[in-house]
Amino acid sequence: MNPAAAAEVDQGTGGPKRRTGHKGRFRRYLPFFALIGLSTVIGVCNPRFFEVANLVRVANSSCIPLVLGLGSTFVIVLGSIDLSVEGILAVGAVTVSLLVQNDHNTNHLGWGGAILATLLCAGLGFINGAIHVGLRIPSFMVTLGTWFVGVGTATLILGGSTVRLLDPALRSLALNRFVNLPWAVWLALAALAITWFLERFTRFGRYVFAIGGAEDIAALSGVPIRWVKLRVFALAGALYGLGGVMAAAQLGQGKAVIGDGRLFTTVTAVVVGGTALTGGEGGVLNTVVGVLIMSVLVNGMILVGISPFLQQAVQGMLIILSVALSIDRGSLKVVK
Amino acid sequence: MKAAVEAGKTGVEFWSGAKLRAAVPTVLLIGLILTIGAIRPSFLNANTLAEIAADTATLFTLATGVTFVVIIGGIDLSIQSVASLSSVIMALLLPRYGWGAFPVALAAGLAIGVGNGFAHVGLRIPSFIATLASSGIAASIALVFSQAHSVTINETGRNFLAWISGRFLGVPTLILIGLLVAALGFWLQQYTSFGRYSVAIGAGEAAVWASGVRVGRQKIYAYALSGGLAAFAGTLLASRMSSGSPTLASELLLPAISAVVVGGTAITGGSGGIGRTLIGSLLISVIRVGMTFVGVPIFAQQIVFGMILIAAVALTLDRGKIFVVK
Amino acid sequence: MLIAKDLNKSFSGFPALKDVSIEVRDGEVVGLVGENGAGKSTLMRVLAGVYVPDRGSLSLDGEPLRLRSPREANAAGIGIVFQEQSLLLNLSVAENIYLGQEREFTSAGVLNWPRLRSAARRQLKKVGVDVDPKVRTSELSFAARQMVELAKALALEERTQHRLVILLDEPTSVLEQREIDILFERVRSLRERASFVFVSHRLDEVLAVSDRVYIMRDGGVVAERLASATSVGELHQLMVGHELQAEYYRESAQVAARDEVVLSADNLSIPGAYKNVSFELHQGEILGIAGVIGSGREELTRTMFGFLPYAGGTLSVNGRPVRFRAPSEAVKHSIGYIPRERRVEGLVLPLSISANITLASLRSVFTGLGLNHGRERSLAREWVQRLRIRARSIESACLHLSGGNQQKVVLAKWLNARSKILILDHPTRGLDVGAKSEVYDLMRQLSAEGVAIVLTADTLEETIGLCHTILVMRDGEVTARFAAPPHGKPTQVELIRCMV
Repeated sequence: MNPAAAAEVDQGTGGPKRRTGHKGRFRRYLPFFALIGLSTVIGVCNPRFFEVANLVRVANSSCIPLVLGLGSTFVIVLGSIDLSVEGILAVGAVTVSLLVQNDHNTNHLGWGGAILATLLCAGLGFINGAIHVGLRIPSFMVTLGTWFVGVGTATLILGGSTVRLLDPALRSLALNRFVNLPWAVWLALAALAITWFLERFTRFGRYVFAIGGAEDIAALSGVPIRWVKLRVFALAGALYGLGGVMAAAQLGQGKAVIGDGRLFTTVTAVVVGGTALTGGEGGVLNTVVGVLIMSVLVNGMILVGISPFLQQAVQGMLIILSVALSIDRGSLKVVK
Repeated sequence: MKAAVEAGKTGVEFWSGAKLRAAVPTVLLIGLILTIGAIRPSFLNANTLAEIAADTATLFTLATGVTFVVIIGGIDLSIQSVASLSSVIMALLLPRYGWGAFPVALAAGLAIGVGNGFAHVGLRIPSFIATLASSGIAASIALVFSQAHSVTINETGRNFLAWISGRFLGVPTLILIGLLVAALGFWLQQYTSFGRYSVAIGAGEAAVWASGVRVGRQKIYAYALSGGLAAFAGTLLASRMSSGSPTLASELLLPAISAVVVGGTAITGGSGGIGRTLIGSLLISVIRVGMTFVGVPIFAQQIVFGMILIAAVALTLDRGKIFVVK
Repeated sequence: MLIAKDLNKSFSGFPALKDVSIEVRDGEVVGLVGENGAGKSTLMRVLAGVYVPDRGSLSLDGEPLRLRSPREANAAGIGIVFQEQSLLLNLSVAENIYLGQEREFTSAGVLNWPRLRSAARRQLKKVGVDVDPKVRTSELSFAARQMVELAKALALEERTQHRLVILLDEPTSVLEQREIDILFERVRSLRERASFVFVSHRLDEVLAVSDRVYIMRDGGVVAERLASATSVGELHQLMVGHELQAEYYRESAQVAARDEVVLSADNLSIPGAYKNVSFELHQGEILGIAGVIGSGREELTRTMFGFLPYAGGTLSVNGRPVRFRAPSEAVKHSIGYIPRERRVEGLVLPLSISANITLASLRSVFTGLGLNHGRERSLAREWVQRLRIRARSIESACLHLSGGNQQKVVLAKWLNARSKILILDHPTRGLDVGAKSEVYDLMRQLSAEGVAIVLTADTLEETIGLCHTILVMRDGEVTARFAAPPHGKPTQVELIRCMV
């Protein structure tokens, strides 16, 4: 054995991967810098961007995407994906519209209706999780199916029509303000606080990251994989349901197509915020940044005068850009 | 020696089991047609059946492209947007450029398909997210071109589409087009290196790579084919509806993927083929028409398709291949 | 005291452990040595509860012990530090140390971070490493991660009534010498708290740190020695075992290589893997590369087939410099590769024998409109006959073939592609004796026909028996080259001397 030679060679193998250091940290804060940069550019182009009324508008348009994004964040941190956003949201919006004061029936459950609708959606999310975990079907396939089951159910319930939501309490979510911000924004912030607490201060939250980091190692350490996954999908369902309630309150009506386009903005926001599709990285605070980037971008496009039809194209390119940036090209794993 | 005998035996069982499973969709299709026919005899009328077959052509064209992508181990979620975009291009260009509209629409589809392939292979982005993103891009382009309206194709334009909705020797042209697509798909699958490599890549990518095959290139071919066929399906749709719209095909993604999976092509890749997709497409069409015949409300059909999709994936999935299901 | 008695474990019919019995006494460091595939890692995994043995028993302090999961092993005070590190890089050090045990630090469902961190700090202190428990594991060096794993294993102390047994599976393979010294010092000082089982390829290390050494060969324990009463040389002898039988490797059929050089390397280097490797491979020559894990021979083999790009020097085929960016370019230069992972990189298992045979040369069965299925079938039948592949039909999926027949299909694939250079990466791994000897026959036959072969073999015996020339590598460099004509073969001890 020649110790000197060994040391030299081992230094070589260990060298490049030794530390991620500043570069890694910079990459983690990149979305935040992007948000600041974007706001500055738009503000320079059109100073009206920084007017309070406009900032409130940005906050208001961010609240539903944030609630949806919070749900998806946990799923994506697991390394899975949930495509059923629009379906579950539609079911939530339609059921809440029919449970509170409306022009279709005589129900008058008020906030109770909102809670029931949210719980129902949690149940749908749980079913997603149960099929995924129980039958070992990839999550994107399961949720692709439940996406359409959800939209179909919402359509069927209303027979293709639209129901007007008349409950003043629920409508106040969108119409009334507290400290200059609509109640819906405060509700979204409350959801953020709760999910952040779950992420940081509960075993459940840490297990989500452990599973996303390396499921096999987590399993060897006794992490209850299936149970955690079930709860993640149920939580996501609940948040989509809440998003549905907020959407119905904002529009003043429930209809099956209320969720159209939401999946896209949700996934984009989560990914742009820096939560990696490979799992284990990111979190709800990243999603806040991601949602704000998307809202500011849309707001800015309007202020600067770009066709709103191009929104989806910009979102699509953002997804590709941020996923491409976040993927570790060093690993030779097969990508499907 | 004994081990060899045993291996042989399990081989026999494996094959008969696999053959049995492959026959299930066909048996189901025939059974379903007969059942609906028993309830509503008018269903078995030659005209109705021809109508269903013609109806299936568009779905089958979409599903054929997806079949190769799924066999190779990926997924394409952009086909409905590409088809819609192609219908918009057709509606806008047909009146002015006549036949020239077809190559433009097809080229747009091919370009998006190649883009999908590059994003997936070159940038190593998972296929479902890359195609979800490009679906948004295609939808945006369609929106901009059409200004978010449905564009009706005028008399001049319709002249160039008449052949699609017409009949040839008494047979609806759409059926013949469907058969042509099937023939093309079958040829690709059976007689080209692309077809052979697709199955091999889906079944064991590492071994194909280590055999000196340019795996990335084959994958890009698959996505290009899927985009091109989606655009072609868009022209068929434009002809049937005499219009183009940015949401014309948006209801077709789920049926198309369902058709592939219901036919017996496993979502995990590596098995399946065009014949199965043909059966799967017919099954989906018959289920759809059958539901209307039997009186299931149109609104409930998406629910049924969603459930069929999950059930079919669960039944065809190759669980031995995946250790960690994400 | 942990006692394992008559452990047996096989994987799909191949025995990996055969009646293995060992003892780990309190406060003792036990070394475990053996060649690749001798069963060391399997034994470690059985002790850690990852594998359940087919037969045999364990007992701890006189009580019978049944381990069905790593958790149960942990509860009995057995922890493992894996060869491939098993920390979650996206979590903090503290979270890793207590992964799965967070319940101790939650009250009313709320995780108490300060308590978790201070507990983790306590464990880190045991191994004497100064790491902030808040830091993400990905930011640590390999050596620090190893210490964190050790701390994680030591944390078991608080959850068991038993004395700890810590299994160290090749812990030094990624460390620098200075770091190895620190690790050993820790292991020695921790004897008060725990016993250790230590696996390593570096025999001098094993002798330096262990009290007692078990020597394994072919899945069984063949000897037990006190570290103070044995030597590196004796361990070699015991690991290698019986004397070589010349005829087994068809040495009489070995014909001299021709003069034409088909593949040559000139000062080939990849930083961190190997450097300044030069050799010439002639037509009909079998060139063996010997070396332990980490010697760079695996990387060198994979460079020749385009898996790994080389950084310095030149690789030439038929005298022309080449730089392969992918295996497809190597195949174009008539190189074929028979991988160690036959079922992953060698064959597309669900496909038929004929499809696998033509996979690397599909062009050969193209006519007119495309793929000619009749031609493909007749070609496949020809190869099945020539290589005596035993299968029900050429349409059978390779999944159902035995290991030996699978290997012949891989070989047929490259022969059909008319490969002139074959890279054989552990070609007889997992094969039974009969299948092995058939592979040896084929190699001799090919070599006589002028095919050049690069061989990295499972055992030294095989390398010596089959090769014309042997390169020995250590720590990324070629340390020796031996000519191995039929009646002048080098001995295993000669080779080992240059390997470690």
